Amino acid sequence: MLSPQHFLDEQENSKQKYLFKQRLWIAFIFVLLCFAIILGRMIYLQILSFNHYHSMAEGNRISFTVIPPTRGKIYDRNHTLLADNQPTYILKFTRERHMDIDALVKQLQTLLPSISEKKMAKFAQNMRHTNTFNQTLSPFYLTEKQAAVIAVNTHKLPGITLAARLKRYYPFGSTAVHAIGYVSRINMDELKTLDPEIYRGTDSIGKSGIEKFYETQLHGKPGLQYIETNAKGRVLRKLSAVPPVPGQDIQLTIDIRLQKYAESLLAGKKGAIVAMNPTNGEILAYVSQPTYDPNLFVDGISQINYNRLLHNKQKPFINRAINGQYPPGSTVKPFVALGALERGLTTAQKKIYDPGYLEFAGHRYRDWKRRGHGLVDLDTAITQSCDTYFYDLALKMGIDTLHDILYPFGFGHKTGIDLPKEASGILPSQAWKKATKGKPWYRGETVIAAIGQGYMLATPLQLAKATSILANHGQIVRPHLNIQPPPLTEESDTPQQIPIKDIHNWNTVIKAMTHVLHSVHGTAHKYAHHLPFTMAGKTGTAQVFSLKDAEYDANNIKKSLRDHSLFIGFAPVKKPQIAVSVIVENSSLKAAPLGIKVAKYYLQHCTDTPFLHKTTLNSIP
Amino acid sequence: MKIPLHQKQHVYRPNKSWIARLHLDPWLLLGVIALLAVSTIVVYSASDGNPHIIQNHLIRITLALILMIIFAQIPPHFMSMVTPWLFFIGILMLVTVLLFGHIGKGAQRWLDFGVIKFQPSELMKLVLPMMVAWLYAYETFPPSTKKLLQGGGMIALTAGLIVVEPDLGTSLLIAMSGLFVIYFAGLPWKIILGTIATTILSAPIAWHFMYDYQKQRVLTFLNPESDPLGKGYHIIQSKIAIGSGGLEGKGFMGSTQAHLDFLPESTTDFIFSVYAEEFGLIGVGLLLLLYTFVIGRGLYIASRAQDNFTRLVAASLTMTLFVYIFVNIGMVSGLLPVVGLPLPLISYGGSAMVTLMISFGILMSIHTHKKMLAK
Repeated sequence: MLSPQHFLDEQENSKQKYLFKQRLWIAFIFVLLCFAIILGRMIYLQILSFNHYHSMAEGNRISFTVIPPTRGKIYDRNHTLLADNQPTYILKFTRERHMDIDALVKQLQTLLPSISEKKMAKFAQNMRHTNTFNQTLSPFYLTEKQAAVIAVNTHKLPGITLAARLKRYYPFGSTAVHAIGYVSRINMDELKTLDPEIYRGTDSIGKSGIEKFYETQLHGKPGLQYIETNAKGRVLRKLSAVPPVPGQDIQLTIDIRLQKYAESLLAGKKGAIVAMNPTNGEILAYVSQPTYDPNLFVDGISQINYNRLLHNKQKPFINRAINGQYPPGSTVKPFVALGALERGLTTAQKKIYDPGYLEFAGHRYRDWKRRGHGLVDLDTAITQSCDTYFYDLALKMGIDTLHDILYPFGFGHKTGIDLPKEASGILPSQAWKKATKGKPWYRGETVIAAIGQGYMLATPLQLAKATSILANHGQIVRPHLNIQPPPLTEESDTPQQIPIKDIHNWNTVIKAMTHVLHSVHGTAHKYAHHLPFTMAGKTGTAQVFSLKDAEYDANNIKKSLRDHSLFIGFAPVKKPQIAVSVIVENSSLKAAPLGIKVAKYYLQHCTDTPFLHKTTLNSIP
Repeated sequence: MKIPLHQKQHVYRPNKSWIARLHLDPWLLLGVIALLAVSTIVVYSASDGNPHIIQNHLIRITLALILMIIFAQIPPHFMSMVTPWLFFIGILMLVTVLLFGHIGKGAQRWLDFGVIKFQPSELMKLVLPMMVAWLYAYETFPPSTKKLLQGGGMIALTAGLIVVEPDLGTSLLIAMSGLFVIYFAGLPWKIILGTIATTILSAPIAWHFMYDYQKQRVLTFLNPESDPLGKGYHIIQSKIAIGSGGLEGKGFMGSTQAHLDFLPESTTDFIFSVYAEEFGLIGVGLLLLLYTFVIGRGLYIASRAQDNFTRLVAASLTMTLFVYIFVNIGMVSGLLPVVGLPLPLISYGGSAMVTLMISFGILMSIHTHKKMLAK
């Protein structure tokens, strides 16, 4: 149609027309050139970059939502539920283009008057910072009633949808909170370190206790739901799904009945009780008083509530069983005595004279009994808790031997319990003092170390562990709360048994500890009347405040300065089933009866074969 | 076609077809109708089969066809006669728009007469090239420098009045339609190349006088990925649509980009992207062939025109059509900056379609009225 020949045929002998036709041809060639450019561009986009744009179109079309995993539940040893998941509702906001967020927030405020202004403001801020097509969740949960209000009014709330969530719930409230721990909102610092793949769609995380220690197991892995969405993020249809892997349930070694009972014994006081099965390290009760309600934290605790707990003088946040480091006082005496026997530094028969003090380097180290115990052998020294006997023993052995005696029982290092942030206590030695204080050791410090004073510090859990090892005749156990504890790692090289030189030495000490409860002179005898089983134990008092030579009068000094009362023990003596350690801080309340009651409650109510009769008393002379 | 045209003109043919009687050009009509058919298919898909939009579209096509036929009946010499008056009225309306115009989308482009809203710049798309052509109608090509300056002045005045609306895109395109007339009138190459060189060199100065949104468009054009959710969003989504179409396309109604609302203005400015996504490179090639056919026919009509006015008008209107096609496709495929411009004969939309169909009517009138002139 537009062949050049044709134009030539038509060409008149007019220069003017020739010029015009020339221009037409140039224009047409220009058009073809431009269309060639477009075609080239199309080949580039549709053929050469096809894969790129194809996947981008699919990426546009297909998006996915995360299905958060169900958090594993926590049970006690008898399958009583301790940490549950309860369905609740949460608001999900999807940012679309051109949204009036202020109007939306106002609408939400009128519909949900009971949500605090602060939380609503936080939600509004989150909504504003959400990129287009992205989503954010409300920092608060809704009750069923509130959810119904939202559901009815969805047409007034563009971008807002209701999402069902599972919320952690602790049916026993403050009971065993220091063992179980709690979950709460993931904070900014945690967000930086968490694996975003695993924590997609999850807003809370274990913050303490078992909930924190076993976070990975409890949490599980999220699933994905692939969906076709439009540009506004609206779901058009569901394509396929990868189901989430739910978190594993955890069964604890705790017996919630014993736990509640033990907590009631310490109610209103500060202190800790640890009860464990000495044969396998299973923690039966894990008490740290005062406690607090973990359910307060699940939604994100309010600032007022948090401050109230944080600034509480009783310090409920302190996990006393593993973080409370106390001078063990006289409770170390059985271990010191055993070590001395095994090392041949003394014998069961050897007696010393106690005038009520030991004089060393011009200083009088007083016994708790002002007039002294007179002639004292090892059994009496433990039964009546004679300090002078141990002062004498300490000078004979020296601090490093004392350290070597106590270390295998777990003093001075972590027990390895499955809880975060355990304290290791202090077991002094010459090297330790050099390293930490930069000063040489004085022998006078050895004297008080033998009665668990001075630098020495131990946690209630360490005391329970040491007691268990003693009860086991040297078999070392690792305390644990999960009924299936994680396999040992670095501690696997440590010996599982303290070498025994003479089994009679162990029996001598255990018998002396039995006399603490069952002999008329025993320091805990008055609490052990009519005990239907034999129990071995040792009382202790830890001086928090040095009173020098002055007479101790419990009623005259401020309550907070009163000494800590301690008790360790295990029962029944022949076949130990429970080992306990008790610490009561700054109180006139004695620790020994609490420990005895816990053991009695456990043996009578919590074991398969309740001990109702005195079975082994005939072994006492 | 073997018979020389001048002989054919003198033959009286009582059995003229209805197409000839209606002063229609069958080839141009064929191309236009084919494009309108494609348009209907794509608008149907892009609007997700919205019956309201389809109905509107068909009504507009019908009206535009009727207007085309009406304009095909008007003899070119009559058009030539009224051109100066239309131009005068057009300029007057542009001034009026500036003073009292309705503000839509941030620019004053509309005149609201109560019953109908009217966009004077749409009128000028046709009237300006006609006016410049009128100016050169009785000149020998190339025109004198004086006439060239006069034509340039008219173009500058019209474009200037539109650019302050502000509507840079339309202003440039209308100026282009006037400049085509000067080009076809035989503007010396020295001046053409010199002007192009000057334009490129003065670009930084033009930048200085641009509105922010115009600057943004240029910046976004240069690097759309820099702002994927904001300024570059349209272009990125459009390129995804085109590119994901591949060789064969996703098929009719298969455009996920349009149906899932990722593509903006999918029935109007970005309709090419929907077409390319659904019909692929093959479809694009066919569409370009169809456009080439229509443009070729337009230029052929210009080459056969019998006087300078009709020559220049036919050639300029055809080339203006080409510029619209090129700018629109160039824009949606990321070759050119984003200019709010529909794809001729394909996009859903009123006034642009009407103007375009009138220009086809004028082309047909030019082609079918020359016999009468020759009598």
